[in-house]
Parts: sequence; C-alpha cells; structure tokens
Amino acid sequence: MTRLRLAFQRSLAAKVITSTVLLSLGVVWLTGSALNSRLSDGIRTVNLNSYIAEARLAFFNAQYQLLISQDPSVQGRKELVAQIVIDATTQGLREQPRDVIIVKTPTTKKSKVSYEMASNGALAESVPVGVRDRILKSSDLEYEYGKVRYLSGIPRESLFVGNRIDIPGGGRYEMYVVFSLEQQTSTISLIQNSLLLTGFALLFLIGLITWLVVRQVVRPVREAASVAKQFTQGDFDLRLPITSKDELATLALSFNDMAASIEQQISRLENLSRVQQRFVSDVSHELRTPLTTLRMASEVLYNHRTTFEAPVARSAELLVAQLDRFERLLEDLLEVSRFDAEVAVLEPVDFDLLVLIKRCVSDLGIDSDEKTSGISTKSDKSEVTIRADMRRVERVMRNLLSNALDHCDGTPIEVRIASTDSEVAVGVRDFGSGLDESSLIRVFDRFWRADPSRARVRGGTGLGLSIALEDARLHNGELDAWGRPGKGAHFVLTLPRRAGESIQSRPIRPTPEDFHEEVFYQ
Amino acid sequence: MARIMVVDDDLDLAEMLGIVLTSSGFDVDLVNRGDEALEAFRNNPPDLVLLDVMLPGLDGIEVCTLIRKESVVPIVMLSAKGETLDIVRGLEAGADDYMQKPFRDEAELIARIRTRLRRTNADVTGILTIGDLAIDVTAHEVHRGAKVITLTRLEFDLLVALAKDPGRVFTRDALLSEVWGYRHSTDTRLVNVHVQRLRSKIEHDPEHPEIVMTVRGVGYKAGGAA
Repeated sequence: MTRLRLAFQRSLAAKVITSTVLLSLGVVWLTGSALNSRLSDGIRTVNLNSYIAEARLAFFNAQYQLLISQDPSVQGRKELVAQIVIDATTQGLREQPRDVIIVKTPTTKKSKVSYEMASNGALAESVPVGVRDRILKSSDLEYEYGKVRYLSGIPRESLFVGNRIDIPGGGRYEMYVVFSLEQQTSTISLIQNSLLLTGFALLFLIGLITWLVVRQVVRPVREAASVAKQFTQGDFDLRLPITSKDELATLALSFNDMAASIEQQISRLENLSRVQQRFVSDVSHELRTPLTTLRMASEVLYNHRTTFEAPVARSAELLVAQLDRFERLLEDLLEVSRFDAEVAVLEPVDFDLLVLIKRCVSDLGIDSDEKTSGISTKSDKSEVTIRADMRRVERVMRNLLSNALDHCDGTPIEVRIASTDSEVAVGVRDFGSGLDESSLIRVFDRFWRADPSRARVRGGTGLGLSIALEDARLHNGELDAWGRPGKGAHFVLTLPRRAGESIQSRPIRPTPEDFHEEVFYQ
Repeated sequence: MARIMVVDDDLDLAEMLGIVLTSSGFDVDLVNRGDEALEAFRNNPPDLVLLDVMLPGLDGIEVCTLIRKESVVPIVMLSAKGETLDIVRGLEAGADDYMQKPFRDEAELIARIRTRLRRTNADVTGILTIGDLAIDVTAHEVHRGAKVITLTRLEFDLLVALAKDPGRVFTRDALLSEVWGYRHSTDTRLVNVHVQRLRSKIEHDPEHPEIVMTVRGVGYKAGGAA
C-alpha cells in the first residue's frame, strides 16, 4: 500500500492518468445517466400512448358488443363477457402477452350473479387501488403501473389501463387491460447495458490515450532527469538530444546551455586552481634556493662564531635561529596553500602509532626538560597499527605536543591512546591555563594566539593547529579541542584505522574523564 | 681527495656549496647549465654528482638519465620543489639519494655525501651467493653464471646489505640507516624506488621477485639462498 502510494507520488504519468480517468469517469457517468433517463422515458411514453390507444379500442369494442347484445339471459351475457375478454386479450398487433380483468365496481349493489372474469387466472385483487379509486370518479380511462399476480405463476411488471363498462341488466363493472412490460423492461435494460459498456470502453480509451500522450511528454523529461543525474556525477560533456521544436526542445536547449555554462565555469575554476598550484610551486622554488644559500652562509658564520667579537657572534646565532623560524613559516605557508588548492595528497603506509608517538615525545624531551614535569603516555594496547600518512600523523602529534608544552605551565602532560576496530584516538591533555569558550572556537584559526600578550616560547608558526586539523580531515578523521579556563586543555585526534574510511565513534571523548562539570541544582 | 661535481643554475648557491664542500675537504667542480653537465662529467669524471632538478638547457632528471647511461657514479639530487612526483622521478632516473632545499643543516649534506662515497659494507669480504647470483664484494661485481650484471654503487650496497644476512627481514628504516646513512627519516620512498630498480636488474621476473622479497607490512629480505 505504502509502496503503491510512493510509486504514485513518484510517477507523473500515474498522477496524470489517474486524475484524467477519474474526471472522465464523472463526465461519462453524468452523460450516461442523462442519456439513460431520456431514452427510458421516451420508450415508456411511446409505449404508454400505444397501450392506451389499444385499450381504448378494446373498451369501445366491449361496450359496443354489450350494447348491441340481443341475448338477455344470464348465460348469454356471461358468454358475451367471456367473448369480450378473449377478444381483448388476442386483439392488437403486438406480440405482447396481455390480460383482461373484469371486476365489479364497488358501488354496484350486491347480487347473486357476477360477471367478474379474468384471463389466464389473473387476480382482480392485483389491480392497484389507486386506479380503481380514480375510475370511480372519472368517466374516462385511467392507468397505473403495477404488478399483476396470477393464481399460479410469477407476478409480472405491467401497465393497468382501466375503464368503466356497463353490462346491460348486470350493473356497472370495471374492465382492465393489463399490458405486460417485460419487453419494455428488457429493451431499457439493453440500452442501459450498452451505455454502461460504452462508458467503460470510453474510460479505457481515455486512459490509453492519456498514457500515450503523457508518455510523449514524460519520456523526454525522464531522459533529461537521467542526463542531469549523470551530469551531477561529473560527466560534464553530456548533452540532451534535440529532436523537435516544441517546449520540450526548449527545455533541452536551456538544459544544454546551462550544462555548457557549468562546464565552462568548472574548467575556468580548474584552470585557476592550476595557476594557483603553479604559483605555489614557483614561489616555493624561488624562495627555497636563496634560503638554502642563506642557511649555508649563516652556518659558516655560526661555526666560526668563537672567533668573532661577542655582538657579531650573537648576531650569527640570531641569524641561524631566525632563518630556522623563517623556513618553518615558509613550509607551513606552503602546506596551507596546498590544502587551500586541494592538492594535498595522502600517502598512507602501515605503521605502529605507539612507536611514532614515543619517538615524538622523546624528540621533544631533549629540549623541554624544564617546561613540564613530564609527559606520560598511556595506551590500552601494546601495539596500535594503523594505515595512515605517517608524515602527516607525525606532524599532528608534534604540533599537539608542542602546543601542550607551550601552555602547560610546568604541569604534567598526559598522552592517552585508545582504539577500536575501526578507529584510533590520541588525546593530549595538559593542566595549564586552559582555554575559554571563545578561544575554543578560534583555536584552529590561522595565526591565532590564545593570549597575544604571552610570549611564544617554542617559536611556533601560528599555523600548527590549523594544519593539524587539515591533516586529520584529509584522513577523514577529526581533531577536537576542549578547554576550561584554569583547568587546562584537551586535544583529541581521531583517525580511521585505515586511511580513507570514516570514523563512527570517538574512542576518547573531548571532555576529559578527569573533569566533571559543576552542576548547580536550582 | 674526492671530487664532487655541483650542477646548479643558481650561481650564489653553487658558490656557497663550493665554499662549504671545499672547507670539508672536497674538490669541487661547478657547472651552471644542464646541457653542459654531461660534457663536464666526461672531461673530468667526479666521484659524486650533486644535481639540481631545475636547470636551464636540460633539466636535472634528463641529466641524471644521461650520466646513468655511462656511469655508476653516486648521484644526489637537490630538489627545491619538494613535490613527491619530482623526487620519485629523480630516483627513477637513477639518482641514489636526494636532498630537499633548504637543507636542514649543512652537516647533514656532508654526512650524506660521505656515506655515498664510503663503502657501506666494509666489514663484508669475499663472495656472497644469493639465488643464482654470485656477489663478489671485494671486486665489486655481480655475476649470474658467466654474465656480469652492472649495478650502481648504491644498488650494490643495498644488495650486499640484504644478502650478507639471508632470510633476515630488514625494515625500510633499517635499510635507510644502513645503506643511506640516515639517522632518522620517515621517507621510505627511497627504499621502495631503489628496490624496484634493483629488482629490474637482478630478478628474472621483477613482478615475481625471487631474490629481494617483500615482507608485507615489515620490509624486505633476501630470499633464494637455500
């Protein structure tokens, strides 16, 4: 049922055909019933008139024969009445069974002799009461439809046409000619059946025609829809065929124009992106070569600093340090522009995440002995093998660790690793100054600093976290940040176990387990 | 004294490289154009070539291919682009190692150059057999039956490193430190590319190697020795 409704909602053809057929049904029904009633009425009127004429003749005959009768005996009169009944029953052109009923008028006084008579055992009691009443008051003939019953046999739909007759010496009687309506009824029902049949045939034909017409319209629309769908999936050189000059051709033409315009826009954008990519690559080359010379020159100076005077020696040291920083900044900028140009590629390999994290931690430990009371690493497993871009994951870890070192204010840093079958998570928790809500929103922004007045201890570029986020997302992973002022911060990297798959759950929630939100009861 | 040919179109950088290398005790030839490199190489064969990728006349990768056709001299590519494709192309053209500009520090450049000039498996002597190959470490030659297979110095070192301990699995990092002299590096493409090159020279069917086998998820080992 639901499927039927769905199919109905989805198919334009089904909708159009259904509504056309329903509306046609109404129209056919109305015209059919009007036609039916006009035809039936016509047939009834024509038949009635001829029946009345025939009955009139029969009454006239009967009355005439009674008037001219010479036999005054009761027996003679009875025979005459019987003859009248036989005459009236057999008279007429129609091959119609008819009956004659002669019955005493209620006003006639009772007598021993009764001339009541009927053909074929028709019962006088079956004459409708209405017509008998009217005959009492009227001198002309009267008629009424009704059912004639017999002594035996089934009743028949009939027309009762009656009149007074006077039997000389016998009193006043009523004579009814009863016309069977069977043929008329069968004619009318034949007409009704034909009308019904025609109606259904008409409806079927209308449905068929609608289907053909709708198909003519719907097929090109369906074609257009399928082409549009393929177009959306990236097949930009697909066009609709134009085979006519009607509105559908106009639709196809507009679609093709739109497609051409989109294709043009896309190739323009692709071109722009290529230009951008090229520019980045050129800048990188042009900057790197002089930077290499600079670095080597500064190294030479630095290596000879013991032979310089103090200010010159210090200058050499500063030169080396700042060139370092300049180089990191350049690398980060290039990386960011690669993300922006969407040309960053993942180079996944299988490796043990724990080994990588331990290496990152030990690399940091060398130059951060005083800044923290220690970095502890906890893992629920002794080996966590993942398939990911090792360089990027390492960069994310270094960024998170050095960010934590910058903000831990001497408190310990906790690194936690948890994994499921399909994802791994690394949480880096510090208990330093923390982050407030407005900072949390901006913490991944480029060049954003939590506290501008705070000195940059480790000489980060200000791009680390935003690159880390891009790196995580390139893996279909996520990087979440949590923080509360004075309660420290918690950064959680979640990666799919195999690069490119998606993450379904967070093995480590951003809100750290050691933190419980203070709840105020009202 | 080892002779190093530096091919770089940036005159200042070439001069600076010259200063640094000379002060580290090398003889230096400077060449500024790609199309002059091969002639200079033939006129005065160096012990090692430092080759920039972007060069006027002929680019570094083409120069590398040309030199490789006539010599097994160690070639170290200098790349400013840092794009994966360039690095892989350079290695496939026959470079042994590459350094990305700007260099982390000149000490690393010197260290890499020294590694390339040194015999890495000095402790191994005599003849090693692996599969149907005979490796004459002392004479620096590889034979298959009567046929001599020409390998670059680096390919030879890589093969010896694996063959001196048949069956032992080497991780890519272990090979990087043993053959290339890296202290730590995440770039294992060097190993992959050179293993492919080595296989194309020594395997009967490089698609189904029988001498240098891949151990999935770990690294490589020398197989074939019964």
